Order: sequence, then C-alpha cells, then structure tokens
Amino acid sequence: MVDQQLLIDEVKKVVSRDDVKYVIGYKKGTTGFTISPAFAYSTEYADKFIFNPLCKKNLAAYPLLEDKLPLKREEKEDKRKIGIVAKGCDTRALVQIIQEKGLNREDLVIIGIPCSGVIDYKKITAMFPNETAYSTIEEEQGFYKITINGKVHEIAKEELLADHCTSCIAPNPVIYDVLIGEEVEPWDLEEHKNLDVLEEKDVGERWEYWKEHFDRCIRCYACREACPLCYCKECMADLLNPQWIRRSVNLSENTAWNIMRAYHLAGRCVGCGECESVCPVNIPLMELNKEIEKDVKNIFEYSAGMDSEEKPLFGTFRPDDPEEFIM
Amino acid sequence: MENLILQKDKLPELIEKLSSNHVLYGPTEENGFSLFKQISNFDELNLKYLLTRVPPKSLIFKQTETLFKFTPGRKGTVTSTEINEEKSLIFAIRPCDARSFKILDPVFEGNFEDPFYISKRKNTVLIGLTCNSPERNCFCTSFDDSPGSTENVDILFTDLDDRFYVEVVTEKGKNLIKSVEDIFEKSTKNDEDSKRNIVTKSVESITRKMDLDGLVPKLDKMFDHELWHNTAQKCIGCGICTYLCPTCHCFDMQDESSLREGARIRVWDSCMYPEYTQHASGHNPRAIRMSRVRNRVYHKFSYFPKNEDITACTGCGRCIDYCPVNIDIIDVIEEVGVISNE
Repeated sequence: MVDQQLLIDEVKKVVSRDDVKYVIGYKKGTTGFTISPAFAYSTEYADKFIFNPLCKKNLAAYPLLEDKLPLKREEKEDKRKIGIVAKGCDTRALVQIIQEKGLNREDLVIIGIPCSGVIDYKKITAMFPNETAYSTIEEEQGFYKITINGKVHEIAKEELLADHCTSCIAPNPVIYDVLIGEEVEPWDLEEHKNLDVLEEKDVGERWEYWKEHFDRCIRCYACREACPLCYCKECMADLLNPQWIRRSVNLSENTAWNIMRAYHLAGRCVGCGECESVCPVNIPLMELNKEIEKDVKNIFEYSAGMDSEEKPLFGTFRPDDPEEFIM
Repeated sequence: MENLILQKDKLPELIEKLSSNHVLYGPTEENGFSLFKQISNFDELNLKYLLTRVPPKSLIFKQTETLFKFTPGRKGTVTSTEINEEKSLIFAIRPCDARSFKILDPVFEGNFEDPFYISKRKNTVLIGLTCNSPERNCFCTSFDDSPGSTENVDILFTDLDDRFYVEVVTEKGKNLIKSVEDIFEKSTKNDEDSKRNIVTKSVESITRKMDLDGLVPKLDKMFDHELWHNTAQKCIGCGICTYLCPTCHCFDMQDESSLREGARIRVWDSCMYPEYTQHASGHNPRAIRMSRVRNRVYHKFSYFPKNEDITACTGCGRCIDYCPVNIDIIDVIEEVGVISNE
C-alpha cells in the first residue's frame, strides 16, 4: 500500500517549487468507485491527492493535452515543469513519448508509485452496482478489503484485477524523480486472456470473432483519446483529403479504424489498458495490442517504453533485422 | 381504454405476435451490457438492465443515414433515399429515454423538417417499462420526470412481480393493444395501487439531484468563469458523453464516393472533437477543450432551454457513468450554483 501522507507531502514539495506549474495526480471521484484526475496548483489542493488500487487511469496523456492558446503580444510561454504522479505503466508511456520526442524529460517531475495492479472499474461496478460511496479500499495478501457503509468486503484480488495487469512487465516506475515507498516484487507473468483466438484459430474463426466486436463499434474514438500514445497532431482518421477512413459507421469502416489504430501502436503500446477500459461498447482492444506486443518482443526483442535513452522501434534499422513476416 | 394486466407467462406470446407485423426492438444482452436490437422472440429479450449502453435515440436518429446517392459526370444522376415507412415498436424503453424524443422533436420536426426522423418517429410505438430500482446516477426526478411516467410513451408496462400492469396512454397505443387484446386481462384498483407504491419507492431511492432553479440566468453570468477551465483540464476529449447521450443530436454530413458512385451520408458528430468547429480557413472558434466542454454544458442547460423551452438533459446518468475521467454533470451544475451564490 502506498502511504497517503508520504504522497501528499511529496506532492506539496513538488508543487511549491518555483519551476513547477502544477502536479497531476488522483483524487476521489464524485460517486461510487470513480476516481478523478486532479491538478494541484497549490499545497492546499495537494491534500486531496490519493493513491489506491482504483487509480487506474494513465495520467501520461495529460502533459500533451494541455490547452494552449496563441500567445498574446509580449506574453511569454510558461515553460515551467509539470509534476505527475505515475505508476509503472504510466512511466512507460512517458518514456515512450520521450523517446519519440513528444515530451522532454526535463519538463517533467515524476513522482513514481510502485503498483501491485489496479482494479478494473467495470468489474467492481458490476459487483457493487448500486453503491454510491466507499470509505476505504486496501490490498492485503491477495485480497482487496473494501469498506462500504462500515461493512468490510474481502474480495480475492483476481476477481477485480484489471486483465492487462497480469502481464505487466513494469509494476515499478521505470523512470522517476522521487519514489513513494518501497518497490514492489514483480509477479509471475501470465499471458493476456484470449490470445489463443488470434494465435490458434483459423482465419475464418478469427474473422467471425472480430467481426462481431467491430460491428458494435460506434466510432466515438474514445480509445484514441484515452491512449497516451495516440497524440498525433492530426489523426489519419480525421483527414478529409484524402479520406482514408469514411465516417460511415459500418463493419468495413469500423474494421479499418480498429486495425489501423492497433497497427499504429505496434512497438509503441505500453499495455496500460486505457483504450479497452474506456471503450463504451466493450471491444477487447487489448487482445490486439497484446498480440502485436508479443510479436514485437519475439521478433525484435523490444518492449516499448522501458528506457528513455533507447531509440523507438521504428526509428531504428539494422541490416540483420528479421523480415520473415514480410510477404 | 382501461388499464390492463399481462400475466408474465404471456409475455413470450405478446412478443411473438407483435414482432410478426412490426419491426420490434428490445433490450438484449451482449458482451456484458445491454443494447437495443431487433428481436423476434422472447428469449432474446433481457430486462435485467435498467439502461442500455447506447440510448434508443439510435433507432430513430440513426448514427449513419444515407441521404441520397449520386453518380458523376455529365449524365450523372441523383437518387434520393426512399423514406422507410415500416411500422416499428420499441419495447421496454425507460421513461427517461422516451422523454429524450420530446427533446429531439423540436430539432428534427421544428423549422427544418427531417423526413428520416419524422417517418421513424411517426411509425414507432413506444412501449415503456417502469424503473423499479433506479441506478446510482439516475436523476430523472430533477426534470419533473418519474421512473413510472406515462407522459412520453404510448403504453407503459410496470413489473408487479408475477404480472405487468399495462397503462395504455395514446391512440397509437390503443390501436396496437386492440390487435392483441385477448392476451390481456382487466386490471383492478389493487394493481393501480401496487404500481403507485412501486413508483413511490423508486422515486425515494433516487439519491442524486440537480438543482435547475434559475440555472439559465446563472449561466448567463458565468461564461468567462475559471470553472470551465478547471472542468476541462481533466477532459480527454473523447466523445463518450455525447455519443451515449440520449439528447445529443449533432451530426456531420459527408460525401463518400468511389469512382462510379457516391452517397451523401449523415453521421453522428460530437462537439467534443476539435474538427467539429474547424473552419475551412483553418481557424477554429473552439480551439481549446475549455470552450468545447463549456459549450456542451451551455448547449444543454442554457441555449436549448432558451430556444425550445426545455432542458436538453433527461437525467439518465449515462455521461456520468461512462466518463473515463469523472466529469460529473450534476457536480458541475452544483458548482455553478455555489459560484453564483458567492
């Protein structure tokens, strides 16, 4: 468990630095098991910061999302750093963005959080559909202890753990300026669920499986907006001239979008699960991401977002790069 | 027409009969959530969920509509889409979702008449289902609506455990019931009381409330308040709130063509996207998320009530349930109230 007071103290320290604009972290949400991203501009606000197993949201998308208006005459750009509370997968996203030169390492103050896995919001709300508030939530020896209205519910960790956490290769932050508490022990990795559909079934069965999922897509592009690595200034899906993907919502265009999204993240996806967890129609996007991640690992011995000094996968070329997959 | 009773074991028969001469949509379960689909027998129906993930507005105001087709060249043609007049029926629509059509009607049947919406609306019978146990983010009562309201449906079913209490509200509803009258039984005063008790209990269990008192003038004074910046800072700009909203109705029109033929299509759009307001010149009047988030709130709670005399929100709570970053519209409106009172 992360010591809440340690976290708050550290956030206060960072936010009071002259070279820091604000610190991004988590606070309790308005209702039920929701968690809200929080932006501390002052030490008082830092008191609201928390970290518990519900803090799933990858905050790494925020530094790039900052609203920027054109500067007024004689106005100078605010170049102060952004502080950010980050779990292992969040720091992997930051590393990947830094590798791609989307962010500069020196523009960030990273408050690292060792994480032993997060709770899937869809799973916990399905278990407690009508609860409007909880008081505490803690992890203890393979169980989550959730206190609701004074009553403690003990639930086995695997029942609530987000699927992508079982194959997490970075429970501890890969970069940080300060670490809250002790590093956690990495756990035995499990393969992501349902990868056998992509690996063992024949093309016909695979298509049937994905057809059903893509048919349901409403093309809200929430998967793209939630993804910390989907930060292109102009997304191919929005281009009109030429128009690569039509706006009509049907199986053909939906498939084009979903495949394109997955491929653009090849060698870049850090496995944080944001896309799948925000998808309003439950498309198992992580199965695509995880399969590609596995291929990249097997073929190029590369994992995204592990070392900020490394070059991105598609930014390097070796004459002896394997090419068996090229038809 | 008197109110009726339908024994629960007769429901499969009713569904079968109605689906034989109507396109019948009902809530079904797929991949762990609920959605309206065309059904033809009772087994496909799933009444376990309260609200479908995507609201039933998608059945009347379709996400993709082909407006007309064309072929290019000097001998090019334009073929308009035939308006579909088939009779359809939405079974087990919740009162709040039924109310969304009252909000959408002035948009599509007002100054500009939309033939696609109008024909579907006219040819669709709404059979409502009372919400016996509302969800945690339900707040329909803030809009003088009720989980057992008959106001916007043609027929309302209420689950009385072993039977449904059936209120036939409109002419449309009466005509439909007449065709299957023999399945129903007469209701008693007792049934009416049972429904009333269920609705009373249901209303009591709604814990969330939005204070709409004087909201329009309050918002008038707050356009430049920092609240909008603070709210938008955590917005990631996904379109979930607008796509799952039963009253959001913005759309885009595009020509989609290949070499030999093309079509003008209309698709749902979202004011949360920067492209939504992007001008051809490159200028974007809502270039930052702050102005987009603010617009969503103002459109629902200020512009729409000013223009159409009704708030463009039904209190279904979907945007609160599915916002990945906990932008809670009740909370935002509450803050508007607090700031106005300062």
